[in-house]
This record gives sequence, structure tokens and C-alpha cells, in this order.
Amino acid sequence: MFEMFLDGFAMALRIDTFLVMIAGLFFGMLVGALPGFTTLMAMAILLPISFFLEPIVGIPFLLGIYKGGIFGGSIPAILVSMPGTGAAVATSRDGYALTKKGKSRKALDIALFSSVFGDTASDIFTILMIFPIALLVMQFGPPEIFAVLLMSLIIIAATSGSNLIKTVIMMLLGLWLATVGTDPVGGVERFTFGLFDLRSGIPLLPMLIGVFAIPEVAKVVMENNMARKLANVLGERLTFAEFRRCFKTICRSTAIGTGIGTIPGLGQVVAAMMGYSAAKNASPTPEKFGTGELEGVAAAEAANNAVNGPTMVPLLTLGIPGDNVTAILLGAFVAQGLRPGPQLFEEQGTVVFAILVAMVFANLLFLVIGYLSIPIFSRIVSIKVSILIPLVIMFAFAGTYVFRSDSIDLLMLVAFGIFGIIAKSARFDVMPMVMGFILGPPMEYAFAQTVAMANNDYIGFFMGERWGAMLVLILSPLVGFYLWRRLRQPV
Amino acid sequence: MTREFWKKTENIFVSTCLVFSALGFVFINMLVGPPKMLFGKPLTTITPTSFPSIILGALTILCIADLYFSNRHKPDENEVIGLVGLQRGGVFFGIMAAYGLLMVPIGFTVSSTIALAVLSWFVGNRSFVQIVLVSALAPVLLYLAATRLLAVSLPELNAIELALSKLLGG
Repeated sequence: MFEMFLDGFAMALRIDTFLVMIAGLFFGMLVGALPGFTTLMAMAILLPISFFLEPIVGIPFLLGIYKGGIFGGSIPAILVSMPGTGAAVATSRDGYALTKKGKSRKALDIALFSSVFGDTASDIFTILMIFPIALLVMQFGPPEIFAVLLMSLIIIAATSGSNLIKTVIMMLLGLWLATVGTDPVGGVERFTFGLFDLRSGIPLLPMLIGVFAIPEVAKVVMENNMARKLANVLGERLTFAEFRRCFKTICRSTAIGTGIGTIPGLGQVVAAMMGYSAAKNASPTPEKFGTGELEGVAAAEAANNAVNGPTMVPLLTLGIPGDNVTAILLGAFVAQGLRPGPQLFEEQGTVVFAILVAMVFANLLFLVIGYLSIPIFSRIVSIKVSILIPLVIMFAFAGTYVFRSDSIDLLMLVAFGIFGIIAKSARFDVMPMVMGFILGPPMEYAFAQTVAMANNDYIGFFMGERWGAMLVLILSPLVGFYLWRRLRQPV
Repeated sequence: MTREFWKKTENIFVSTCLVFSALGFVFINMLVGPPKMLFGKPLTTITPTSFPSIILGALTILCIADLYFSNRHKPDENEVIGLVGLQRGGVFFGIMAAYGLLMVPIGFTVSSTIALAVLSWFVGNRSFVQIVLVSALAPVLLYLAATRLLAVSLPELNAIELALSKLLGG
């Protein structure tokens, strides 16, 4: 394994990888800084570009967008109280309060340093832990895979939104959409309605761009909200003493974010909120949180960035995307011929380690680029939306077409866009639907294999040979219920 | 079902899901092909309808549950899309649908130029210079970047592709 890591380290030291990561970081910060435009949208639209680059170049490009976007979302959150990403909501509580006190530069600096620290520490944890976990996962058979996939869906259902029924409805919708096309077990056509184009199923990319990117743009258009607030970066830079004061909080939040990142379905928003509430509870002056406390910004940012690395663990070892961003990364991996799962380390271990090492380098680049470009990206908040929206649509359409060179994908993009905006208006979250769509086929396949292995003796099978899978099946609803109750508590 | 019930987008959405899932569950054997058989026995341990049946059945039940539980409170203004918003959304998606339908027949550059110009105007840009510059330059630049740098294909008219090739000395 160590040789694989060393080979991967050497592979990551490529000038084109670094240049592309820098481009990704810039693009991510740009998009993240634009209120109404999300990192997820940028990743979905630029995903097709990664298909035509080598894995060690294309996937770090997407990771660069991801990392840059998370911090980029903090910029409007701090400067104009408009979080660019869901994870930046917790940041805006104290970040905007600091701006009102004339300390916006300090807020942006602590957000950057906390982000980089949290991200780097969790990436190193990922590199150390991923191979032992992959070795464990290699022992998994279809019953264990089915149990873990079901557990992931339960956790996603428990943590995705305030209304459990709505979340499960969307998840079931995604599972059903995954059955359209050809049955993965028997090769029989299902729900194609005689249409040739549906025989290969619904393609993932138009769905991703359609439900994640298009509704965001459509919402801005429908609300006719083209106004932009002006933002100014004011005040002195962060001092070392102030950073040291926040260091304990940053470490705590990093640990929280790292733990949350390993569990599929939780994601950055949960991490940011939990990191913030933990910092507030541990503070000797909790009443200051929300009034302009640097530790509040540090806690949220460290936690939400610490999720980045560990989300790769279930993705790479089991092929389970932990959130919507890793769902997009899964699409990139598959298109590159890297099939996530335990066999990935046997077949392409060096490439995997190269990507993980590139993630660490991306953080170092991020620190430098972010620090120098904060004043520039602060101006981005004021760019005309009437120029950006048409360009985003053009990129979305171009990216969708290049995926399969099939014009039907463009119509699916529009259809999913309409679906996405209707779901948004009806207050349904589309993320569970996408998770259900991605996890449905492997789940059905594992289910069929499990039924075949059990040979009608389910009790004997699960009690005797596959007690691990049975334990996961029993514990999953309990864990899901605990998380659902825990996340309902106010911050 | 009262008029208040149908004012909520949520209820319309869930009712639609309920109708489709219930119909899908009832008529599933008409929507899914028969299992492959060998010597009178199915080749697979589960039939093609097993998984979808479970999903559609659960979806039907949950849609009914959501309609029951979510209608305990009155709708507020935030839950209803205004007519103006709906109209703008309709026009926006109409432009996108036209863009999608036209991209292959008339090529990426021409369809994108038209779409960018129309969208820019629709979302409120009134600067003629900006609209012309963005609509004329952006599609060409993206086309060249995609086809030359990334070596991917975008649909294009022969005349435009030949002109661009000559321009680049190809």
C-alpha cells in the first residue's frame, strides 16, 4: 500500500494537474461568490469537461471547483448576508455581524484559514484511513452491500430535510426513475413506453444539471430579482493572536466535520450547523455568538470544509455518494473508467492515491490564491445577473449535449429543470431523488443476488453467515431515527 | 378537496405523484416486459416487477400520508407562486425548450446566439452593445474551446464549421 501511495504522490506532481486545479479553484470561488449560483451547479455544468481530461487532471479540476466554491459561498454570506451555498448559512450569522462592525476582512481571513485547515486535516485523515476501510469493504458480499446502501438511504432520508415523508417520497421517485430502461438483473425493458431513447435508461448528467443548476437560475428569473447589493472589504487583517484564539474551535469543528463526512447523506450543511452549535455550547460567552464572534465563523467554515475529504471514503470504497457533490464526482469517476468500489484499489490504486494527494495540494494552492484574491472576488458579488444567466444556460446546454451527442438529452435537461423548479416551489428537496436514482440499480442488483444466495432460507442465512448485514439492517432505522431527532434540535 | 387545497403547489405535486404511482402500481404488468424464462422457470430470482412494485406501492402510501398530514395548516403567501412568476417561468422554459429543439437543426452557434440574445433581453439587459457582444462572441468562443481544445463535438452547420476552419488556418 505504501508503494501505491508513493507512486500516487509522484503521479500527482504534474504541472497540468496543478494548473487545472488552480483554474478549478478560481472558477469555484467565482461561482460560489455569486448569490443564486451554486458550486453544485458549476460542477454539474463543467462535469462533461472532465470526461475529456485524464483522471488525474479531470477529477482534481472538479475538486478544485468544489473546494473553491465552498469558500466562495462564504464571501457573499459575510459581506452581504446572502450565503452562496447552504453550508455558508451558519457562517453568515457571525460573518455579516462582523461586516457591520467594519471587520469584514478579519471575517474573510478566518473563514479562509479555517477552511484550509479543516480541509487539509480531513484529507490527510482520508489518505490514512481509506485503504484499511477498502480492505474491510473487500470482504463485503451482496448482502452487506445491500445493507449498507439501504442504511445510506435511511440516513439520507433522516438528514435531508425537516419533513421526513417528503424526503422519502423524493427518494422513492428517484428509485423509480432508476428502474426506467433495462432491468439490471434480467435485461427486460421497464417503463420505456415503447420509446427507443429510454431503453438505455435516463442519463445521469441531464438530470444532475436539470435539477441542480436550472432551478437556481429559473428562481432568479421568476422572482425577477436582478438587484445586487454592493459589497466592500473593510478593516484590518486577522492577527495571529486572533487565529490562535480560534484554533481550539477550528480543531473541534474539523473533528466534527471529518466524522460527519464519513457518513453518507449528512454533508456540509449538517457539519456547519453542528460545528457552530458545538462551538457555541463550548464557549464561555455563548451569548456573543451571532453578534460578530470570530469563533462562530471559524467553527462553521472548518466543519463544512472538513467534510470534503472523508466524503470520498464511502464514494471510493463502496460507490456511495455521500451528498449531491459526490454524486457528480461519481459521474466523473465512472466516465473516466474508474468504477468506485473495493476493486478500485486493486485495479487503479495509484490513480486513487494520486487524486487524494492532489486534494491536499489543492488546499495549499487554495490558501495562497484565496488570500490574494479575496478583494477581487468580493467585487464578483456585484456582477450583472442579466449577463450571467444566459451564459450559464449556454454552458448547461453545451455540456449536456457533449455527454452523449444526443439531442434528446437537451429535452430531458429542460424537463428535469421544470421538475426541479416545481419541486423547489412545492418545498421538496431534489437531493434524495438523485441519491435514490444513483443507488437504486446497485441496490436492486445486490437485493437479487442476496435473494439468490439465501435460497429461501432467509433466517438461517442472515443469522448464520451474514450476521453483519443483519446487524446493519437492524441498526439503520435506529441510527436514522437518532439523527433525525438530533437534527431537529435548534442551534 | 377545496379550492384552498389546490392553491398549494405542494398538494398539486403530491397529487400528481399519487396518481402516477397508483396507476403505475396497478398497471405494472403492462409497463414492464415479462420475465425471461427457460424451460418454464424464470431465469432470475426476482421478477422485473418486484423492485418497481415495492417502490410504487410505498410511493402511493406516502403520497396519501403527505396529503393528509400536510394539510393541517393554511397556506401562506410563500407557498403560492404568483401569476407573474409563473408567466416568467413559462417563457423562460419555453426559450430553453426552443433552444434545445433548434440546436441540432441549425447548429450550436446560431441557436446559442439567438438564445443568448433573447434570454439577455428577457432577464432585463437593455444594453444593446452588451447583448450583441455576449451573443456574438460567447457561442463562438465556447464552440472553438470545446471542439479544438477538448476535441468534443457540438452540432454545427457545415458552412459555419468550414468558415471557422478557414479562419484558424485549417
